[in-house]
Amino acid sequence: MKILEAKNIVKVYGKANDEGSTTALNGINLSVSEGEFVAIMGPSGSGKTTLLNILSGIDKPTSGEIFIEGQKLNEMTGDALARFRRRKLGFVFQDFNLLESLTVKENIILPMILEKKSGPEMEKKVQELASLFDIEAILNKYPYHISGGQQQRTAVSRALANEPQIIFADEPTGNLDSKSSTVIMECLKKVVQELSTTILLVTHDVFAASYCEKVIFIRDGSVHSHLEKKSDRKAFLDDIMNHLALLGGRQHDI
Amino acid sequence: MTFNKVVWKMAKYHYKKYLFYLACNSLAILFFFMFMTVYFNEQLVALKEIEGIQSLLAIPGAALIVFTVFFISYAHQIFMKKRRSEFGLLMTLGMTKRDISKLVLIENSIIAVIAIIIGIGAGTIFSQFFFWLLLKGTGIQEVAFHLNADMFIYSIGAFMLVFIVSIAQSLYLTMNRDIMENLKTEKMTENTAFKHPAIGGIGVAFVVGSIIGLFVTYTDPDGGEYLMLWAMITFIGLYIALKHLTSFFIGLIKKNKKLYYGGLLYWTSIDHKYKQFTSIMILVTIMVMTTLLYSTIVFYGYTETGKEAIERNPYTIAFISTDSKNNLPADEVHAIFDEYENPVEEHFTIPVYFKFEWDDDGYPYTVTFMPLSAFNEVTASGFELQGKELIYHLNISTEDPESISYGRELRFSIDGEEILYDYTKVIGEKRFNYLDEFFIINDAELETLKGNLDGLEATAHFINVKDWKDSEEAVFALEQAFKSYNATTPNLNVENILPEEELFYVDSLVSDYSNRMNSEGIHFFVAIFLSVLFFIGSFLLLYIQLFSEIDKEELRIRKLFRNGITSKEVKGLVSREITTIFMLPTLLGLIIALLYLVAMATDIGGVLANPGILFQFLLIAGIYFVILIIFLIYAKRKMFMEIAGFREE
Repeated sequence: MKILEAKNIVKVYGKANDEGSTTALNGINLSVSEGEFVAIMGPSGSGKTTLLNILSGIDKPTSGEIFIEGQKLNEMTGDALARFRRRKLGFVFQDFNLLESLTVKENIILPMILEKKSGPEMEKKVQELASLFDIEAILNKYPYHISGGQQQRTAVSRALANEPQIIFADEPTGNLDSKSSTVIMECLKKVVQELSTTILLVTHDVFAASYCEKVIFIRDGSVHSHLEKKSDRKAFLDDIMNHLALLGGRQHDI
Repeated sequence: MTFNKVVWKMAKYHYKKYLFYLACNSLAILFFFMFMTVYFNEQLVALKEIEGIQSLLAIPGAALIVFTVFFISYAHQIFMKKRRSEFGLLMTLGMTKRDISKLVLIENSIIAVIAIIIGIGAGTIFSQFFFWLLLKGTGIQEVAFHLNADMFIYSIGAFMLVFIVSIAQSLYLTMNRDIMENLKTEKMTENTAFKHPAIGGIGVAFVVGSIIGLFVTYTDPDGGEYLMLWAMITFIGLYIALKHLTSFFIGLIKKNKKLYYGGLLYWTSIDHKYKQFTSIMILVTIMVMTTLLYSTIVFYGYTETGKEAIERNPYTIAFISTDSKNNLPADEVHAIFDEYENPVEEHFTIPVYFKFEWDDDGYPYTVTFMPLSAFNEVTASGFELQGKELIYHLNISTEDPESISYGRELRFSIDGEEILYDYTKVIGEKRFNYLDEFFIINDAELETLKGNLDGLEATAHFINVKDWKDSEEAVFALEQAFKSYNATTPNLNVENILPEEELFYVDSLVSDYSNRMNSEGIHFFVAIFLSVLFFIGSFLLLYIQLFSEIDKEELRIRKLFRNGITSKEVKGLVSREITTIFMLPTLLGLIIALLYLVAMATDIGGVLANPGILFQFLLIAGIYFVILIIFLIYAKRKMFMEIAGFREE
């Protein structure tokens, strides 16, 4: 079942047809099915983050339609959109976006509090997520007292708090070392496998992308191609590397 | 590009930080200087000694000292916190600690000098304007705005003292921290400090103890002297209590999951903000308390003054006459009042007898006698006295007259024999103006005394006119008439003790009333001056508190938006936070002011006996709240506008 469908997404910065305008996305079509783990890759400036922001309702497309669970996202506005996002969508950011004044635990329950869930329900959920991501020991610590990897695991837990249908992750390993990156990608894999949540992530990191089942490559605002995992992660990693070479971006652009 | 240029460029980029710091310091000096223009005003100093403004200025003085110390050191802390992370960065690039110290000293000195110039300049202008406005409003003519050296010396001295201590502390911190600690300064929150509810309890005990102390000692003759001490203890107690107890209370709330989770963002934010702003919260509490208490006391004094003057003067006019002094016929006296269309409605006389004596220390005093028959007649009482018995009439209202004793021996030499008089009864009631305490003696005994002593026989006159408030000109005319009459008779220099002017003056309700209103008016003037000063000061503090870390607030709200919070929810949250920050210190200040008022009202028989003072307190508190709410609405609107901007990515 398709959970996310984007039809002919166009995003133009500045006035359309104007000389100074920039076309970031140029008629993108894509669909993601329930339980899929998809990465979007592409060179710098290819429109990855813009696409993610539009798909998740943070940004608005110039034209085109986005459906999440059949609901038309780009017709929702203001508070209705905010509510939809916090119920159906989860977000993981490169810079974690944790509130400094809240403990790890409080950060995780924040989306549930906004949904006015009951105390015991929230407690239960926190324990569940904390044990899934091995952050039980730091639940009462503040973000500035824990490592980057722990912060990102907290952020993933928070993204899952309201049991969203789909998680959008923008460079989730961008601020982490390779060890922490591995832990985070393992976490996300767990999320897909154990909770059957759909994950769409944008990344530069070939290693991170290799955890996904499918990688969509975009270039100059359009979908260039895609790859699907056929065997193990190691082989997929090589496939992605080869494909990137074909894509033709300079290595440091990836 | 030299290193100095880099530093200069960084300073230019962060000019807002410097402006904020400069503004805070200028404000601190401005407030202090404005207070000094009142405190050291020569006319007010002169009045202060006689009218007791000194003790009235004690609480606002203490509050202002606390305000200045906190405000300057707080501004310095905010500034240095931001600077230190930059210093950490500069140190990683090879700047030495010596260079850093030099930088701190140079930039702080420049800011101090500019702040002094701005603060004193603006203080002079505002103070002058205030004087002009209030003097015009109250119609007081005895006081004028002026500047003198003390005002400058104390303002600059106090500022420099606090400023230098703050810098020394910052230098010490910067020097003794390693680069990493300096780099992280801005990220570190203040909640690492040691906090314990038991210490908070000690703070509460300080507050409660000082109020009880005030309550117990205020009726002592020296009670007023301790006022400043009690106020300082209350302020210190408040500081300790708020510093240690708020986290404790929020900890208690955390235990109640339903309550805590329901308002998680609110509680954590208040907890976080409170940790950051404890000093400011305490300061605002103190200022609210001082403003309310001080203006109530003075306002009450102002409104009570008229009543007191009436109580102190049972008759509109009182004077004494002898054969040769003030001896105008009654008709002539009445004619003067008729002339001013304020006819005499009552006029009676009582014979009195003054005996002038020297005490052991060489000071003169007067013993006044009144014949029993005349007293009984005028007061419609039926006292009886035998032989050497006297009644001691205090001629002031007091609840327990029997506890008051005369303190001197009434020993006179009659026919070469030493006779000791003693009083059998004490009357404590204000019965006659002009006269102080006197002794009622039976008529025959008084005749004996007169025959044997060298005293002054006189007649005391008591007059009531139709409208005492309108009697000022007539009283003046009477005084003039007496003066010209007395000039025609030989000078009566009573045993070289009293010049005649001191005996034959006209005591009038109207002049007492206007004298008192005038001096209370000056109190009132000083009170309004300080109240407005504190009022503005407390709002500025709250405002600075709210908007000084707006960048952090922006980040927080942006993160909340990313987590799917709606604009409405953010508004609700921010609204609750701002309301709490405004209301909490105001309510706390109000409660403490009320307790102080209750303690200080023991002096006038307690609040229950004077419901008027409570009413006036509530009236002033009400006005305060109305202005606070207007300001709160403004602050909220401003914050909402800022937030609306955050939403755009």
